[in-house]
Amino acid sequence: MGTKNSDYGAEIPELIEDCFGEYASIKSIVNEALPFEIMATFGGVIAGIILSGMAEEIELIPGLIVIAPAVMGLRGNISCTLGSRLGSAIHLGLITKLERNPELINNISGSLLLSLFLSIFLGLMGHYITVALGLPSAGAVILTLIAVISGVLSGIILAIVAALLSVGMVKYGFDPDNIVTPAIATIGDIVAMLMLFLAAKVVLLI
Amino acid sequence: MTYYTVTGIIRSSTPVLLLAAIAGLLAGQMLNSEIERIITMPSLLILIPALIKIGGDTGSILAARLASAFHLGLESRIFRNPVMSNSLIGVTIVAMTALFSLSVIVWVVSFLLGHSVSFLVLLQICYIAGIIEIVIVFFFTITISSASHKYGLDPDDTVIPLIATLGDIVGVAGIIFALNILLVV
Repeated sequence: MGTKNSDYGAEIPELIEDCFGEYASIKSIVNEALPFEIMATFGGVIAGIILSGMAEEIELIPGLIVIAPAVMGLRGNISCTLGSRLGSAIHLGLITKLERNPELINNISGSLLLSLFLSIFLGLMGHYITVALGLPSAGAVILTLIAVISGVLSGIILAIVAALLSVGMVKYGFDPDNIVTPAIATIGDIVAMLMLFLAAKVVLLI
Repeated sequence: MTYYTVTGIIRSSTPVLLLAAIAGLLAGQMLNSEIERIITMPSLLILIPALIKIGGDTGSILAARLASAFHLGLESRIFRNPVMSNSLIGVTIVAMTALFSLSVIVWVVSFLLGHSVSFLVLLQICYIAGIIEIVIVFFFTITISSASHKYGLDPDDTVIPLIATLGDIVGVAGIIFALNILLVV
């Protein structure tokens, strides 16, 4: 028996590695990841086209380019975690409909409050770091206003998209985990850049 | 009592988001210091958001795969089994293909929008910045994943937000480095 056990002991890691050979074949990784990466690249280029259209605003509002990558990054982080939490909530059977659902409302209010707090932090930090480096800044109020308008507006739009998409996907028999997060990541860049552009336009009008 | 509470969501997300916000501002400051050069080349503005994301995206895929391997108990053999090497080769192929597609897409879009730019310059910027980015991001992905597993933290929670943000910073630094080498603007 003793020898048999130790035989199994030697075999099991090899068995695991055999299975992993299949699971981790280079071909399967590339086949699964590349389509999403190409889709994300297209989304990124659309965000880039909007950014290139903002050249005038970037020159008129010093400090705008400082907060731009952080606004995009936060949007991705907050909205993708919202999408991923909604997926988990659906799998747990907590969200089955859109109307009067406290789990859905808590998830969305949580991510909108996070968007608000972090946008304020971002605007203020963006201004003070720029000034500390001796570079020109449009001012704490203007940068905070831009960060809050773009952060909260894109947060609301993406929360609606995430909720509709995850509940809709389940209705049509798809697993929301596989679709909502990559979709939100791609749409999120475009929406965040568009709202940043809009916020810059609004601030310039004031 | 609901399963998800507003305070619970805010409490668990805030530390990582604050870190990501500060790191994002760092990337923004780097762009700001070179903004006069960058703004003279519209194709570069089109390129930036997508280019800085490729490292973070492929790094996150690598991190998620390594996290699953650690969860399945492969840590002692991690450098000797196909999970590590195949994942690394797989995500490198994905990143290289995405960088090539990106330079083609940006070249076509620039042409349609009437910005004159040579395809070779775009390809060089993409690959110089992209290769610097993925080498550094993949190195940190492997280091942080192993360290976070060693100290008993779940790599799923710690590595991906850190890697996505690191990708932005290294990506911007890579683009500025490429501009300095190529002297295009």
